[in-house]
Order: sequence, then C-alpha cells, then structure tokens
Amino acid sequence: MPTKSATDDRLSKFKNKGKEPSKLRERRIAECVELRKAAKNENFLKRRNISTLPEDAVQSPEFNTDNHEVTVTTIEEVVGHVNSDCKERQTRGCQAARKLLSRERNPPLKEIVEAGLLSRFVEFLGRDDDPSLQFEAAWALTNIASGTSWHTQQVVEHGAVPAFISLLASPMLHISEQAVWALGNIAGDGPAYRDTLIECNVIPALLSRITPDTPVGYLRNLTWTLSNLCRNKNPFPPLSAVQQVLPSLLQLLHLSDQDVLSDACWAVSYLTDGANDRIDIVVQTGIVPRLVALMAFEALTVVTPALRSIGNIVSGSDIQTQVAIDAGVLSVLPSLMRHSKPSVQKEAAWAVSNIAAGPAQQIQQMLTCGLLPPLIDLLRNGDFKTQREAVWAITNFTSGGTVEQVIQLVQSGGLEAILNLLTVKDSKTILVILDAISNLFMAAEKMGETDKLCLLVEELGGLDKIEMLQNHENDTVYRTAQGLIEKFFTDEEAEGLQTEATDTTLAFKTQDVQKTFRF
Amino acid sequence: MEINDGNLQTLTEFMRKTLDPDPSVRRPAEKFLESVEGNQNYPILLLTLLEKSQDNVIRVCAAVTFKNYIKRNWRIIEDEPNKISDPDRTTIKANIVNLMLSSPEQIQKQLSDAISIIGREDFPLKWPDLLTEMVTRFQSGDFHIINGVLRTAHSLFKRYRHEFKSNELWLEIKLVLDTFANPLTELFKATIELCQTHATDINALKILFSSLTLISKLFYSLNFQDLPEFFEDNMETWMSNFHNLLTLDNKLLQTDDEEEAGLLELLKSQICDNAALYAQKYDEEFQPYLPRFVTAIWNLLVSTGQEVKYDLLVSNAIQFLASVCERPHYKHLFEDQNTLTSICEKVIVPNMEFRSADEEAFEDNSEEYIRRDLEGSDIDTRRRAACDLVRGLCKFFEGPVTAIFSGYVNSMLGEYAKNPGVNWKHKDAAIYLVTSLASKAQTAKHGITQANELVNLTEFFVNHILTDLKSQNVNEFPVLKADAIKYVMIFRSQLPKEQLLQAVPLLVAHLQAESTVEHTYAAHALERLFTMRGPNNSTLITPAEMAPFTEQLLNNLFKALALPGSSENEYIMKAIMRSFSLLQEAIVSYIPTLIGQLTHKLLLVSKNPSKPHFNHYLFESLCLSIRITCKANTTTVGSFEEALFPVFTEILQNDVQEFVPYVFQVMSLLLEIHTSSIPNSYMALFPHLLQPVLWERTGNIPPLVRLLQAYLEKGGATIASSAADKIPGLLGVFQKLIASKANDHQGFYLMNSIIEHMPTESIVQYRKQIFILLFQRLQSSKTTKFIKSFMVFINLYGVKYGAIALQEIFDSIQPKMFGMVLEKIVIPEVQKVSGPVEKKICAVGITKILTECPAMIDTEYTKLWTPLLQALIGLFELPEDDSIPDDEHFIDIEDTPGYQTAFSQLAFAGKKEHDPIGEVVSNPKILLAQSLHKLSTACPGRVPSMLSTSLNAEALQYLQGYLQAASVQLV
Repeated sequence: MPTKSATDDRLSKFKNKGKEPSKLRERRIAECVELRKAAKNENFLKRRNISTLPEDAVQSPEFNTDNHEVTVTTIEEVVGHVNSDCKERQTRGCQAARKLLSRERNPPLKEIVEAGLLSRFVEFLGRDDDPSLQFEAAWALTNIASGTSWHTQQVVEHGAVPAFISLLASPMLHISEQAVWALGNIAGDGPAYRDTLIECNVIPALLSRITPDTPVGYLRNLTWTLSNLCRNKNPFPPLSAVQQVLPSLLQLLHLSDQDVLSDACWAVSYLTDGANDRIDIVVQTGIVPRLVALMAFEALTVVTPALRSIGNIVSGSDIQTQVAIDAGVLSVLPSLMRHSKPSVQKEAAWAVSNIAAGPAQQIQQMLTCGLLPPLIDLLRNGDFKTQREAVWAITNFTSGGTVEQVIQLVQSGGLEAILNLLTVKDSKTILVILDAISNLFMAAEKMGETDKLCLLVEELGGLDKIEMLQNHENDTVYRTAQGLIEKFFTDEEAEGLQTEATDTTLAFKTQDVQKTFRF
Repeated sequence: MEINDGNLQTLTEFMRKTLDPDPSVRRPAEKFLESVEGNQNYPILLLTLLEKSQDNVIRVCAAVTFKNYIKRNWRIIEDEPNKISDPDRTTIKANIVNLMLSSPEQIQKQLSDAISIIGREDFPLKWPDLLTEMVTRFQSGDFHIINGVLRTAHSLFKRYRHEFKSNELWLEIKLVLDTFANPLTELFKATIELCQTHATDINALKILFSSLTLISKLFYSLNFQDLPEFFEDNMETWMSNFHNLLTLDNKLLQTDDEEEAGLLELLKSQICDNAALYAQKYDEEFQPYLPRFVTAIWNLLVSTGQEVKYDLLVSNAIQFLASVCERPHYKHLFEDQNTLTSICEKVIVPNMEFRSADEEAFEDNSEEYIRRDLEGSDIDTRRRAACDLVRGLCKFFEGPVTAIFSGYVNSMLGEYAKNPGVNWKHKDAAIYLVTSLASKAQTAKHGITQANELVNLTEFFVNHILTDLKSQNVNEFPVLKADAIKYVMIFRSQLPKEQLLQAVPLLVAHLQAESTVEHTYAAHALERLFTMRGPNNSTLITPAEMAPFTEQLLNNLFKALALPGSSENEYIMKAIMRSFSLLQEAIVSYIPTLIGQLTHKLLLVSKNPSKPHFNHYLFESLCLSIRITCKANTTTVGSFEEALFPVFTEILQNDVQEFVPYVFQVMSLLLEIHTSSIPNSYMALFPHLLQPVLWERTGNIPPLVRLLQAYLEKGGATIASSAADKIPGLLGVFQKLIASKANDHQGFYLMNSIIEHMPTESIVQYRKQIFILLFQRLQSSKTTKFIKSFMVFINLYGVKYGAIALQEIFDSIQPKMFGMVLEKIVIPEVQKVSGPVEKKICAVGITKILTECPAMIDTEYTKLWTPLLQALIGLFELPEDDSIPDDEHFIDIEDTPGYQTAFSQLAFAGKKEHDPIGEVVSNPKILLAQSLHKLSTACPGRVPSMLSTSLNAEALQYLQGYLQAASVQLV
C-alpha cells in the first residue's frame, strides 16, 4: 500500500512551501555588504611585528650599544647605510628601518617604499652568510607587507615571495619564523596573493616546519599564516591546497595552546564557509567531534571560531548536519545560547536556525536535547541580532516540524515570543515571523484546531499586532499580514465566477465535432 | 518644441485653462497638454515656466504639472519606449536641485517630490553627483535652502526604514553614509549652536527647529537597517545632543494651539523614536546612554500637559518606557519603590484620565467612541500607551504596581463618593485603571481570559459596578454607566454566574438609555453574555433563567432601534439575533408581532442598504424566527411566506443586489420546511431563477444553487410534469457552472440533485450530453477540485442507475472509456475525495462497480478489478490525500474577473447535510464484504484467485477484517 512517505511528499507540496531547506540555509552566504564596524572578535588579516624584542639584546650585544643611536636615524641615513657595500652599515641601516617600521604610531611604510629600499631588502633575504641582516630585512619587509594592499603589492612585486619561501628553510628558527609571518601578511591580502603563494608551493614548505619540537611561539605564527592561506572566497583556495593543509590543521587542533587552537579553528571556519562540497572535505577528515569539544572551551578566542565552523557545517546538507549532531553539538549549544556574550548567543542561534531547517528527525533531536527553552529565552531576552536568528530558527522549525513538534513549540511559549517580536523595526524579521504564523496555522488546519489557534493568537495580543501590520509601509509585509487576517480571522470568503456569453436562457448543448477523449 | 517665448506663451494659456472650473474649458486644455508631453523640451518648458513666469498661480501650476509628468513618465519600463528624451533627462537632473532650492516653499515641495521620484529610479548609479550637490548646500548658511535639501534627502532615504535588506540597498546606504553622514553631523552641531545664539529670535528658531526635526528624521532613516560605523563612532555627539534637546524648553516655541503639535513636540517625538530604535536594535552599543534617556523621557512625561497636541509625543514617550522596562537588564532602573510610585502617579494615572475630547466624542460621535473604546482602534491614544506601560511594568513588578494602584483606585473612588456630580471622572479613571491592571489576555469571543490574581474583580463588581447599574435613573452619569456595562462585558468570563444573572435585567433596563454609547454597550454586553458556554457546551445562561425577563428584553431591544441614532444599530440587531437563538421556543408567542417589525425594518433598509452588518443580522433574525416557529409547527410556514413574499418580490424586482443572495437563502429555508409538494407560488418563480443575468453575479451562485436544489428535492416530479420545457435551461445552468474552475463544484451539487430527484425518464435524453460535457472539461482543464466532484457524481450515478448503466453510457461515448476513467481517474485519485457523505457515495458506487458489473469480470477490464478494490480499501483506511498540485493554488483568485459582492452565508439559514444513500447502507465496509460474498458465490473461485494474485498484503488483511465483521466468507 502506498503509505510509505505519503506525508513527507505532501508536506513539500503545501502552499507557501516553496522554500526548500537548502534555500533557507543559504542566508549567510548571500549577505556581503556591511554597514557595521568590522566585527571585533574576528581574526586579523595582517599583523605588524611591533615587539620590542628583548632578544635583541641577548642575540648580539653590539646592537645594544647603538640602539639608542638608531632610533633617531633619519630615512636618508637609512638609505645611505642600506645602499652601502659595508656589511655593518647594511645591517645597521636595516635595523634602523625595522625599528622605524615597528614604532607604535605612524610607521613610515610609504616613505621606506618610496625611498626605493625594497629591492635591497629582498636581496638581503638571500644573504645566508649574514643571518642578522637576513633577519632585519625580513622583519622590515614583514611590517611593510602588513600595510595596505598597495604596500603588500610593493613587497610582492619586488620578488619577496620566492625569497621568503626559501627562507622558511633557514636553520635559524627566528629567521624562519619571521618569514612565516611575512608570508602570512601576503596571504592575508586577498585571494590573488594567497593563490600566488600556493602556486609557489608555500604549503609544503610551511608544513615541513611542524615537528614535535617546534616551539609554541613559532607554531602560533605558522598556524595564523595557514589560516590566511585558507581564508577568502571568490575564489576559494584551490581544493588541492585545502587537501594539503587539512591533515596538519587536524594535528594543530589537538594541541593545547589557546592561540594555536584559535587560529586553527579560524582556518576551519574559512574552509567550511562555502558550498556543501567544501564543507564535505572538512567533514570527511573526522574533525567535527574535536570542533564540538572546542565549542565548550573556556576561552572566547577558541569558542568563537569553533562555533562559527560548526555553524557553517550545519548550514550544509542534512548528512553533514547529522555528523555534527552525532558529535554532540546539541548538548553544547544550550550553554552557548546562554553565554554571557551576545555575539556568542547570536552565532549559536544561527547554528540552531540551520539545524531547525533540517528534517523532522533532526528537529526531534533538538527537542530531546532541550534546545527549545534556551531558544525561546533568546527570543524574549536576547539582543536584536540574536532575536533575529532565533526567529529564523522558529520559522524553520515550523516549516519542517511535525504537527506534534509544532504543538510542543507553541506550548513552550514559542508562539507568544514571536508574536511579541512583531513590533520589531526590521521588515524582514517581521515577514519571517508571519511565515512562522502561517506555518502554525497550516498545522492547526490539519488538526482541525484553527479556531483554537485564532483565539490563542488573539489572547497573546498577536491579532492586534498583525492588524497593525496591515498599515506597514513594506508592501510584502502588509500583504502577508492582510493575507493571514483574511484567511484565518474573517468568516467568509468570496468566490469567483467565469462568465460566458448567454442570451435569454443558459444554453445546454455540446459541440458537434468531438475529438477522442484522453485524460 | 523649441524653448521660445511663443511656446511659453501657449503653454501659459493652456495651463491657465486647466484651472478653469468649467469642464468644457478645462478638459480640452488637459487633453492638449497630455498630447504634447511626449515632445522633447516639454519638461524644460515647464521648468522655465515655473522659474520665470510672472504669475505665481502659473508657476505653482507648472510645478504641479511637472511633478505629475515626472511621476507618470520617468520610469523606464522594459520593452516600452523611453518616454523622456535623454537630453531632457540630463538637463532636468542638472538643474532641478538648484531650481528647487531657489524656489518659494510651495514650488520647492513639488520639485522636492519630483527629485525623490527621479532619485528612486536614477540614484545613485545614474545620478552620482546628486548627493554631493546637495551636501555642498549645507555650507550656504541659508536655512531655507538647507531645509529644502534636508526635505529632499528625507524623501530619498525614508524607504530605508521599511525595505528588506539586500546588497543593492546596503551599497546605496553605504554610499550615502560616505558622502552624507559627516556633513549631516556637522550641520546638526552647527544648528544646535545657532539655536543657542538665536534663543530669543522666534523666527530664526522656527526655521532651525524644523531643520533639527528633519535632521532627526534623517538620523532615523540612516540608522534603521543597521548601526553604521560612522554613527557608532559619533554616538556621543548625537546622543548627548538628542538628550539635551529632550530636556530643552523654550517659551517662544510653545504654541497656543491645543490640537496641532508644535515644533518642539515634533522634534521630541522624533527623538523618542530614535532612542527607541537604538534601544531595540543596538542595545549593546546604546547601553551607556539608555539610563539618561529613561530619566529624560520620564521627566518629559511628568511635565507635559493634557492637550491633544501632545498626544503623539506622550504616546511615543510612554511606549519607549514600556519597551525598556520589560527588558531584564534594565529592570533595575525601575525597581525602586519611589520610582515605581512616581511612574504610576505621574505618568500612568494622568494619562488615563477622561479628557474633554473624550467627553465630546462620547456625546457627539458615538460611532467613533465605540470603535476606539470597544474595538481597540485606540492604538495611538494615551490611554492605550498607559495600559501598555502597566502591562510592561507588571512583567517584573506585578505585586508592587498592583499595590500602588490599589491605593490610587481607593482614593479616586473616595473623591467620587464625596461629590459624584463633580468628581465622576475620578471614578471613570478608577475603573479604567482596574481594567488595565487586571487584564492579562483578552479575546473578542471570550472577553478577558486571564486576569491579574491580585485584583479582586468580584468585590469591585459588587461594590462599585453593580451600584451604578442599579441606579434608578439610567440617564444619569452615562459615561459611568457605559463603564459599568463594559466592565461586565469584558470580565464576563471571570465573574461568577450568579453575578452575571444579577446583571442581566439591569442591562436590559439600560437598553432604554438615551445615550447611544450606553444602550449600544448594553446590547453588546447582552449579546456577548448570551454566547457564553456553560458545562456540556450548552449556553451558560439558559432560556429558563431568562424567562422572567424575556418580554422586557424583546421589548427593549426593539424599542432601542427606535432611539435617535440607532435605527440601524448593528449591535442591537445582533443582540436581537442572539436573543432569538438563545430563547428558542420561548419566542414563539412573540413572533407574530415581531415578524411584522422585522419585515417593516427590512422594507425600510432595502431602499438604501448602507449598514451591511445590520442587514446581515436582520436576515439572520428572520431565519431564526422561521426555524424556531416552524420547528414547533410546520404549518406556520405559510404565514411567513405571506409576510415576507411581498417584500422579497420588491427586492427581486428592484434588484437590490446586496439583498438578493439573502432572499434566496431565506426562500430555500422556507421551501425546505414544506412537507408536501411544492406550492404554486414557488413554481411561478422557477423560470425566473434560470435567467442568465442572475447567474452573472458571484454572490448569487451559492444561494441560487441551493434554492434550485430545494426545488428539485421538493418538486422534481412537478418540474418534470409541468415545466419540462425548462429542463434544458436548468441543464444550461449546470453547463455554465462546470465550465468555471471556481464554480464547478456548484454545478455538481446541482447535477447530483437532478440525478437524485428527477424522474429517470425526464432526463434520459440528456444523459449522454451531460457526460460529454464533463469529459470535455476533464480533457481541457483537469483540476483536483473538479476530479473530486466528478468521482462523487459518477458513483452517485452508479448507485442510482446501477453499475452496468454507468459502464454502458461511458463505453457508448467512446470505446474503452469506462476502463480509462477507472484507470486514469478513479484508481489514482479516489484517495482525495473529502467529506464523509462523499466518501460513502464513492465507496458504495465502487462496490457496485466491483460486484455488479459483469464487464469488470469478463472483459479486459478485469485487470482493473484488483487495483480498484485496493483503491477502495485505501479510501477506507488511509488518511485523506489533501495535497494540491502547485499550479492549482491560485485558481480561485485568477478565476475571479474582478471584485463582486461577496456571498454572505446566513448561519441560521444553514442546510442539514444530505446523505442520498442514507440508512440503506450504514457501513460501506460491511456492504463491500457482503457484495463480494455474493459475487463469489455466483462464480466460485474467481474472487479468491483475483485477490491472491495481486492484492497487497496489508489491504488483504483489512479485507479479511471486513469479511469477519460481516460474518461471510469468499468461495
């Protein structure tokens, strides 16, 4: 008998049911333009090395003596030193330049570039005979590359990329590390230079430096550079590069250093911020349980990117989402939804909204793991951005949930919470809420409980609010509100009639020529 | 069209003529202007005219003409010709901003509108320098120009407040922010400084304050979608200035006008909105400023007067506090007992007072008063805002707030008691306060459904409400009487029954009050009480309990209709309907008098129907009179016909469109009551019902079909014998209806009645044609609704004439037709049939096809036998398939050719569900079992073998169950 998935088939045929889960899940990808300040807890694209280096003193006492002198060196003097043939002057000049570039305020990036020093610095990178010079040049170039795109471009166009990649192999750890940093800045400039680096085989060169003995400071820089190599879309990094990086990322994710973990998570978050095939590559590595564990980490710098990565993964296919669920994401999310930081609450609500866009069994798992109470709390008390994500979660829930699940949602206060939000100052959110209400009515119709739901909506003050929305300035909002009122809150509806030509009485006759009937 | 003096002169003349009051002069001039507007330079000529004409009237006229021209023509629609030449477009854009800014205000407004229309199409891509051009004017120092720029900017940007987020929109906003945000901020600061230097110059202040209001509006638009980086960085500047402006007062800017809001009010109102926007959307960033705003807004409320001009400001301000006090992390701002007391005392109570404006409405504009007070169209009123604040505060502080207010309520009642004649408004405020404090959830159907447990509603009712209701003079203190009646009405679900019963006769007495509001409320309260349900779903108040008051109730209701201003009072008419429905047999003895009054009323309103609700309840009351009386004694139906037919005839003859569908429904009701054959009076009307013009109106179709069904049921034989020539016309109606996707089901209702009630021989000659029409429709546009009705029809046909007849007529139209219909329609779709009677008809029909149609056993149709049986078992056992193909969702809408009067179904003219099969078959499953048994004994072995080869296991199991229940076996 055709009982099988008759109900499931039918669900997708309902009116207003054009939104397939996959469409609901594309939301974050589509939004690009930002009016806000760049998010404060996101990762840096480029960094300048402004450390005062206590090692300076330790490494070579001779620098120490003229340290004071160098700080007051002018650019003209630097040019003179750097362009001289004297090794000492070269080193002194380079160091003076590095110090200028490392000062806290207004480093003279542009001036140094315009003084024509870059080709010299790049040349010095190859001076294996003089590690100090190599180091100072590398540092200076690192800081120039940390500037605007134009600055980075100057560094690259002077041939620094192959030079830095060779330098990675330097036996002197601090020099190699500086090269890692410089390459990170270049990779962070954008997809073009990122791919230039990848084509120059930067990845194997970097990965070969990861050993059990690598100091943690070095690993931090390296992880950050790797994360920049994974970063940026349009286009994404080549698949082959991703495949190369992933095993090492996995390894780094199992270390305990907070900074390494943070950047490794950011790297994963970039890799998962894409279409399902991109997500799949990451999920295949078996990394998901570790990410879920890191979501429960204490440090916000780790929690944020881990949550973002998982959020990306659950925006993927049902199967990918299931991997995250099996890894226990649903038991971690409630505490993140109650996190003290609104930004974490928001990200958690976003993840929940995407899980709620899944099939009824996944919604059931959400219910079992107790996600509904914190979700409804967020609708009531979260900040606006969080409320907006939570509203999506409710709408997705109501569109994919079974009648029983939807009832549970209403009984837990979900309806009241979304009705209260109908006065928010955001047209899209209002529309999403109206969608949820309409979904609830469809569930009620199936149970023959429409009248009951009407009363409940009215009691909760929702009817007043929906009626007010009939004056909303946004066309779609007011039409949708009107539609709800007409369909569920008024008694009778008009019917249409197709009129035909007639005379005194209506004709009853069939056409003479009759084709064969086929139905 | 060249730009020369001659053309300008001509244009001026025609322009002048368009202002002529005489249409014979005006119309041709308008036509002429329309005919030349396609010419190049036409808009430039208009601009020249509005700039240079000596005549001010012509200048304004040119400006308006220009704006309308832009509105009609600027948008370039794909695949349509560009209606304005490119050089003209460029010239307009190059000059219009300047022109607007240098024009006097009347013209400036028109041009500003034109700019925003153009801007909506061209900005930013095709008009990149618009903003920079505007921004440079900020430096002009001329606030006439600056306000022009600000107004234009406002009309360009205000759409950011309601449009959906999109990359395109946000790119535009970003661009606007880059050029506009900083100059706007500088202008804001400069304007505030100027306000200080010109603090004593009223004319300067007026202009500066309009600028500030416009700037604040722009702030709202630019900050609406998200918090822009610029404004986050400059929050201190904006918010501290907003805060200062909120607390500012300047005697010079206070206006004498009581109604119209002044500049100060408008500005502060907008600032409240801005603060509310930030509090709602950018809580994290706004938190440091919020407490200051709460204090400022609250002080503002305390110091603002009762005049109507402050209403918007006050309600915005209160709404701000209401939204903040519900948020958990601001709870502490309100927690302090003194704060709470102060808010209650100084903000809430004063705004709940009954003002002179309310009093005027109560006396002179009762409809408006009722709408606001009863139906909740009081969204922007102070009372509503104050109520919302009470509710907001109760979220965290229900106990303290209730305690504070109890004190107030007592003191206000005390004031009233001292001198009711002077202090009655105190009692009104007290009742309002109790109501807003006590009500936590409310519906129109049940009144207040959830109340604050800390308020003793019953005690208040006994001590303060009942006393007013009991007062001998119903016309004394009408506002307090109305309050008391409303109290009973809205708390009806909360008050004990004995108190409601105590109130009923008092309410009945108040139906006689002179005040329209008062007697309307009394009618409404009674109507609501009569709908209340008690245990067992019977009415809470029983007819027996009403017996002592029945006569008084009916008398007073009908007398109230005679009170001035209430001759078509829908609340009273609804109360009449509800009383009839409650009292049932108890009204029978009054009906002979009442029906006369109702008919008289009907005759009056049919001259000019203007109150649809009143009319609807009037017809409902008529239906109830008929039903109730005829239930007791069917022979009385004649007396109703006697009373009503003259009015009905008049309505039909005068074609009172609003009433015709009602008349058909009442006639159906009357006809259905007849037990013997159809009276001649009805047969005389029969030919008229088939008139095509009646069937053109959407609203007529359902009641007319129902009426024809009643004719067929009562007079099928009469029609066949004495009106046989009308049968083609009847079938013509059927043909028209089934051609429409929206009405095809009505066509089937009619045909089913024809099949069921007409003598076989009278329609035998039309049968083939009927089927051909249905097949044609099936072929041309097959919809789910049609298929469902079609299946019911063919099965009914089979039940009536036998399965063989069904099969033969199909196959006579086209060979193998019967098999095709079974295979393509019945088997796959029968699961969609809805309704218990419809399902039963299909079940019995299919059973007959399976067991009484030899062709199903002997011919190639045999292969369909098991699938058909399986489909039948599916119909019995599976959930109904209510899916609808995607392309059918909007049929009803598309099919409606335009707005037509909707059909208003009379609830009390309702028709009982008709089961054409009836008790003959009580359980179709048993019938199937018995029929299969019979078939199997006729040809032993066949049935079990067909079952075992292809019926699926689950279905077989169900079938076994039926056989067992029927105690039969298959052989």
